Amino acid sequence: MNRRVFLLGLPGMAGCYRPGLRRLNVLNWTDYVAPETIPDFEREFQVRLRYGTFESAEEMLSRVMSGNSGWDVVFPSNSFVEPMRGMGLLAKLDHSRLKNLHRLEKRFQRPPWDPEMEFVVPYMWGATGIIYQSLLPSAITSWADLWDARLAGKITMLDDPAEVIGACLKKLHLPLNSGDARELELSRNEAKAQKPLLRAYVNDTVRDQLVAGEVMASQAWRPTAVRAMHSAGDKLRFVYPKEGYAIYADNAAILRESQRKELAHSFIDYLCRPAVAARIAEVQFSSTVNEDAQALAPKNVLLYPDAETLSRGEWFAPLSLESQRIRDRIWTEIKAA
Amino acid sequence: MKRIRALFLMPSAVLLGVFFAVPLIIIASYSLLTRGPYGGVAQPWTMENYLRLADPLYFTILLRSLVWAVAATLICIVMGVPLALFISRTGKRRNLYLALIVIPFWTSFLVRTYAWMFLLRDTGLINSGLLWLGVIQEPLPLLYNAFAVMLGLVTGYLPFLVLPVYATLERIDKSLVEAAADLGSRPLSTMFRVVIPLAMPGIRAGGVLVFVSCLGAYLTPDLMGGGKTIMIGNLIQNQFTSSRDWPFGAALSLLMMVAVTLMLLPVLRRKEEGLS
Amino acid sequence: MRNGRLLSLYAVVAYSLLHVPLVVLSVFSFNASRTTRWEGFTLDWYRAAFQDSQLLEGTANSLWIAVAATVLSTVIGTLCSYGLWKRGSGWISGSLYLSMVTPEVVMGVALLALFQWMFRFLHLQLGMHTVILAHVMFSIAYVVTVVSARLRTFDATLEEAAMDLGATEWQAFLRVTLPQLWPAIVSAGLLAFITSFDDYVITSLVAGVDSETLPMVIYAMARKGFSPAINAVSTLIVMSLGFLILISDRLERRS
Repeated sequence: MNRRVFLLGLPGMAGCYRPGLRRLNVLNWTDYVAPETIPDFEREFQVRLRYGTFESAEEMLSRVMSGNSGWDVVFPSNSFVEPMRGMGLLAKLDHSRLKNLHRLEKRFQRPPWDPEMEFVVPYMWGATGIIYQSLLPSAITSWADLWDARLAGKITMLDDPAEVIGACLKKLHLPLNSGDARELELSRNEAKAQKPLLRAYVNDTVRDQLVAGEVMASQAWRPTAVRAMHSAGDKLRFVYPKEGYAIYADNAAILRESQRKELAHSFIDYLCRPAVAARIAEVQFSSTVNEDAQALAPKNVLLYPDAETLSRGEWFAPLSLESQRIRDRIWTEIKAA
Repeated sequence: MKRIRALFLMPSAVLLGVFFAVPLIIIASYSLLTRGPYGGVAQPWTMENYLRLADPLYFTILLRSLVWAVAATLICIVMGVPLALFISRTGKRRNLYLALIVIPFWTSFLVRTYAWMFLLRDTGLINSGLLWLGVIQEPLPLLYNAFAVMLGLVTGYLPFLVLPVYATLERIDKSLVEAAADLGSRPLSTMFRVVIPLAMPGIRAGGVLVFVSCLGAYLTPDLMGGGKTIMIGNLIQNQFTSSRDWPFGAALSLLMMVAVTLMLLPVLRRKEEGLS
Repeated sequence: MRNGRLLSLYAVVAYSLLHVPLVVLSVFSFNASRTTRWEGFTLDWYRAAFQDSQLLEGTANSLWIAVAATVLSTVIGTLCSYGLWKRGSGWISGSLYLSMVTPEVVMGVALLALFQWMFRFLHLQLGMHTVILAHVMFSIAYVVTVVSARLRTFDATLEEAAMDLGATEWQAFLRVTLPQLWPAIVSAGLLAFITSFDDYVITSLVAGVDSETLPMVIYAMARKGFSPAINAVSTLIVMSLGFLILISDRLERRS
């Protein structure tokens, strides 16, 4: 294929094809590295790295589920680690090849979804909170503020069942991953009560509308919020809601099918180098789990909140079959209302 | 006579047999299996997925989606037939005008939709323009409502109607239309008495294409409608993404396919007009 | 004549409705800001697009897949419609119709299952070939629908007349029917091209490591907000394909 691509005459393509180089295939979220991360790695290890991207963790899972997808390194979110492990997709990590693991923050050296880091190495973490216009007369501090009728038509929520139901549960001071039918029903009622006040359920596209001042307050993933604040300056603020909020982490893992496990380990270890991790976190407005990298990255209380704020966060976890089904029914009902 | 027909049908028969019929059987069997502990499908066989369909909630959604798809199809027909007529009458330049229909579709659906969102937003081009002209005092709510979804569907699938209608209209003798005009026929009645009857096979074909595409659409309701309604396309998509419930998703799809087939039967049945 | 002018006026309106998003996105490909706020003219996004190997490869892959799928499905589909026109086949037209109604995501998952099962015996991996196969499969129904609609207005006696005059069946098809079908084949090809070029759901499921397409690259960006380099690439594609069409229009009018 490469030769034909070259014949197409697209400039720049010629540089990509270097025969005889070792290959490594990495499947990750878009732009989850710094611009120089990959070229530097390719130079140092004399490899050709293919960086593929996916739109959702589910898409990633369906693409590698076959066990002969050709990918080597993937980046599952924490709630996908257990399913992928259960399906036998992940390879055991060889810690003797991962020299930089001790650089991770203590709490990420024993992540709840894989306490011994047998299969995954935490990479970046994120949270879901509220971004709002600083000109609002009273600052937003809690999920309950997103049920304020005075903001009717100027509020948005994420278009994601786990996030919306999660926020409703948190508003009721219930656990984020609840599988209890009654608790979920209560959260459904909250969501239905909120719907008339909503402008929309949107994910990233809310960013421009926040910057333009059309939307007053939004449930948002932190990276989206930080990017919006980057373009709008002081006009926008982000808050970790006081009732508690969802946190998630993406992890590096090696697929069991990989034929290039040694190189895959080198790549994961490379990502754990403080300088590399710091640079990625800086470019991506994201929080690295790497303590030594945090020391190098610019200080930012938003990305690295204090212990009290952190303690309010709750990890997303895999859901039981039954609770998944109830949630799907509830989500459909909310949307159809 | 027979031999050439068999030869011509062979490639599509093989292709459909392997890459459509087999997947269809796979889907049907998925719908009778259980969701695996981590997604995917697993034993045992069950009818449960179909029993779950008996929920009135899903019927409401299916019904609403059908109504939307019919409305979008009708709008496409009203807008598309005159456009196809226009192209068929441009003589030697017709291929150029035909290409102009599809050019916007050489960009990604997502990019086009984002462009529409930029136009329709409160601070978007249309609202700012109208505000500046003093036509309105407050921005009009153009985005995140039924209007926006319909606009997205119609502009997204108009070529699916225009192209087949053009393909049938192109044959129509220009003189026929002119003769009708000479005989004192008014434009609209020429349209109804001459053009539409001749274009009917194309309108049927295009209508079916638009209808089934609109029914499957899931991103337009999400992005243009702000995710505030759920269509059958979204419901099915959710089963394969966020809910990871393939068996139920497969059952829902089969239900939808049966409902659509029943609905289209009168159109497809006509021996001389159907798909074949 | 008033008749024609009214129609042209309507055509201008309809065409602008279709082209408005195109204009917007190409304007933003020159915007200095990443957001939709105009902050001055720049060519940076074009530079960025040419340095983004993922984007370039996705574009090249998409174009190749679309061209291959269009040619194959147009040829196979046209032959099929002709065969069906001679004498219908419930099985084939039934499956064609069903292939259109099947939701994309279900089709994608089932095709993926089929490919994986086949590859266990064939030592193959997902790649361009699986994407092209899938695209040909779902495009055939579109092609057949368009070409059949045309055939339905076609006079069967023309072919018979040609054969009475000594033409073989094959000659009659090539010399008499095919030229008549040309506008339908062009329409069908254009339709197949845009459905293939724009497909994301099925493609993302059956694509392999080296066959990421442009829509896959673009959809993956959706969560982070995509870079205007996408607009730049889209603008370039439209410009270059548009240019090709202008040239062919010139040639056609000269001949």
